[in-house]
Amino acid sequence: MSSSVYAYVGRRVLWTLPTLFLVGLLVFALMRMIPGDPALLILGDSATQEQLASLRAQYGLDRPIHVQFAYWLAQVVRGDLGNSITSGEAVLPLLLERFQVSAAIVLVAVALAALLAVPAGLYAAWKQNSIVDTIVVAGATFFLSIPSFWLGLLLLLFVGLKLGWVPVVGYVPFSQDWRAAASFLVLPAITLTFIEMGVLTRMARASAIETLRLEYVTHARAKGLSERRVLLRHVLPNAFAPTWTLIGLVLGNLLGGIAVLETVFTLPGLGRLLVDGIFARDYPVVQGCLLFTALIYVVVNLVVDLCYPLFDPRVSAS
Amino acid sequence: MKTTLPRLTLLLLGGTLAAGALAQPQAGTLRVRLNADIRSTDPGLNRDANTDGVMMHMVEGLVAYREDTSVGPLLAQSVELSADGKTYTFKLRPGLKFHNGAPLTADDVLFSWNRYMKPENNWRCLTEFDGRGLSKVIKAEAKDPATVVFTLEKPSALFLATMARTDCGGTGIYHRSSLDDAGKWREPVATGPFKFGEWKRGQYIELVRNDAYVALPGKRDGNTGNKTPEVAKVRFVVIPDTSAAKAALLSSGIDLNPDINDEDMAEYKGRKDITLESAATMDMQGVLFQTRDPLLKDVRIRRAIALSLDMPELVAAVTTGNAKPSRSIIPSPSSYYKAHQAALPKRDLALAKKLLNEAGYKGQPIKLLATKRYNSVFNIAVLSQAMAQEAGIKMEVEVLEWATLLDRYTKGDYQAMAFTYSSRLDPSLSFEMVSGVKDKQPRKVWDNPEALDMIAKSMELTDRAQRQALFDKLEAKMREDVPAVFMYSAVNTSGALKYVNGYKGWALGTPRLWGVSMRAQ
Repeated sequence: MSSSVYAYVGRRVLWTLPTLFLVGLLVFALMRMIPGDPALLILGDSATQEQLASLRAQYGLDRPIHVQFAYWLAQVVRGDLGNSITSGEAVLPLLLERFQVSAAIVLVAVALAALLAVPAGLYAAWKQNSIVDTIVVAGATFFLSIPSFWLGLLLLLFVGLKLGWVPVVGYVPFSQDWRAAASFLVLPAITLTFIEMGVLTRMARASAIETLRLEYVTHARAKGLSERRVLLRHVLPNAFAPTWTLIGLVLGNLLGGIAVLETVFTLPGLGRLLVDGIFARDYPVVQGCLLFTALIYVVVNLVVDLCYPLFDPRVSAS
Repeated sequence: MKTTLPRLTLLLLGGTLAAGALAQPQAGTLRVRLNADIRSTDPGLNRDANTDGVMMHMVEGLVAYREDTSVGPLLAQSVELSADGKTYTFKLRPGLKFHNGAPLTADDVLFSWNRYMKPENNWRCLTEFDGRGLSKVIKAEAKDPATVVFTLEKPSALFLATMARTDCGGTGIYHRSSLDDAGKWREPVATGPFKFGEWKRGQYIELVRNDAYVALPGKRDGNTGNKTPEVAKVRFVVIPDTSAAKAALLSSGIDLNPDINDEDMAEYKGRKDITLESAATMDMQGVLFQTRDPLLKDVRIRRAIALSLDMPELVAAVTTGNAKPSRSIIPSPSSYYKAHQAALPKRDLALAKKLLNEAGYKGQPIKLLATKRYNSVFNIAVLSQAMAQEAGIKMEVEVLEWATLLDRYTKGDYQAMAFTYSSRLDPSLSFEMVSGVKDKQPRKVWDNPEALDMIAKSMELTDRAQRQALFDKLEAKMREDVPAVFMYSAVNTSGALKYVNGYKGWALGTPRLWGVSMRAQ
């Protein structure tokens, strides 16, 4: 890597700091703007004023908002995201533990979706307006349109309940038993693959159609290159760049948690942690989750940007 | 590289199918659904209803609730009350041991009690014993290794009942080794029928049978009675989604769901592999009114709303015929639920319209808050809106998320609200939960000085007949004031696979897995 690349990465990393600060500030403010009291949720409808006040004081929720924010920020700078109000656990290890679950599903699903969607989109573009193209577009639109929880539930009921091939509930980490772990993750991964395939196929097809219309493709064909070579050598790299950007966005989005799927498949992932945190008004957990998600987004997009030169040498030059 | 991905996929699928075959009922482990994870294993401190339910399997107190919600001894062999009603003497049952084999002594009782009473620990029920609430314990001492004496400042009819409360952790007694050297909670080492096994946060909590458990003779009786553990292990599996829980039960992923959806009842009833069991609980459902609202401060309008509701119809629809309608704030399983409480006024649209006319009601909209966190709360709101409409009352349902609804409830910031109250195990507490001075506690629904005096008196009275008479009077007064319309005591229905024997729901709604066995597969 050249020094300019290092400088570029350095600049991008520096830019993440104000981004993360703004995210933190926004999340902190928004969480406190929503009605709801964590102390009340913990103690329930029969809690007395004294009990509520005592619990609020224990978690520092009785201090002025700006003091709470400053305290939290100071903790974050030290690499400590605080402790969960509901469970008392440290937030950072909790996030990392839950992230592993979400990441395992998302990475497998997005990789599979990309591997299936890109060739399908390229082929459909090449055979534009044919029956194959119609089938690919219809299939992509179908998967794009169906809600993930619905597809997940169908798979759960059919593969899990009817066929009994996989357990319908539970989770085991890969480190403990990879077979069992795979059995718990295969359905959510398949569900997500189908859903993400829809959007990626459409993007790959649209980009490929646009590229196929360019003059250099006509020129390549005129030189007598085979269609296979035209597609793989000249169309795919150029058509893939927008899809790659989309993959980055999708990854960033999904790695922040797939709450709905995690709920349907009862997986202890990051998304469910966030949703549970919001319902319980567990401020440190929600703040930590969203800060972490923002960080993932920034990192994934940085990696995506750094990979561009692999497909388009012009980016490297610029 | 070309062949890596297909190989990996095959490997994953192969492993998956093999593991799928492993996901069958595990011999000796009873798998029970929990709709959310527990908060801690520290009884009565960092808790919620799920935590209480799980903890009651490991930790026991001196006294506990019986099936009929009266209080009976558990770790205590006997409880004696002095003539002045201020001194309680607990004799411990002989031969009791903690999970670590150490004998239970009066000193352990005091150790646990003193920890509960430290303000920094935030025990759920501290205020009920330190003079701010129901009673004030001025002294707790060990008379001898098997006798503990509690002295109160003044008599309290609710002292034992509060000790037994599950949200107080049953004032459970635990061994010193439950804490680490720094005094931080480690895990419960107590006397219950099950021992702490493993807690995988967000996934499951596993309990192991206490083979040395010394059970009381006789039958299971609420949280006391015979609590012999039958199964080797109990695993509470966290499954938040109801559809996933249903799929888990139907595919033998779990053995028991202690609280199934009313909407799923019909489907479950058609299955031969599932046993259903229903029990009325102490949770109360109904609609609350803000009596300081410019419109609803007129009691005639509140009465008109109550009269417009066809209670048997409404309750049957909300609970799919599972619960009985009841207008009383005293839950139907209570031993104080008698004729006065069971009386059900009939729907009277003509009278409702007359009252509205007298009050000068001109169809002003009344906002009725609800939540979808609990299906029953939402359905109560929708049906109440439809029924009130027939009397010419315009109600608008606004759905809020649970935390927001609870916040609005606490601030008294509503006109009307469909709400569910958690269990109050004594009628005094049932009345107390809705009654109070609104200027001091905006969440209180019923601000009636005369009623407040009667409630305070009921907390001191120990004579049962006198208490019943007082509760009957309070019932009549509340029906006259209509600060709320209570509709029914919630019913818990459990679904278990056929091979699960002996599971039974009860008034507190918490699962009880002692006395439950599994027939060989």
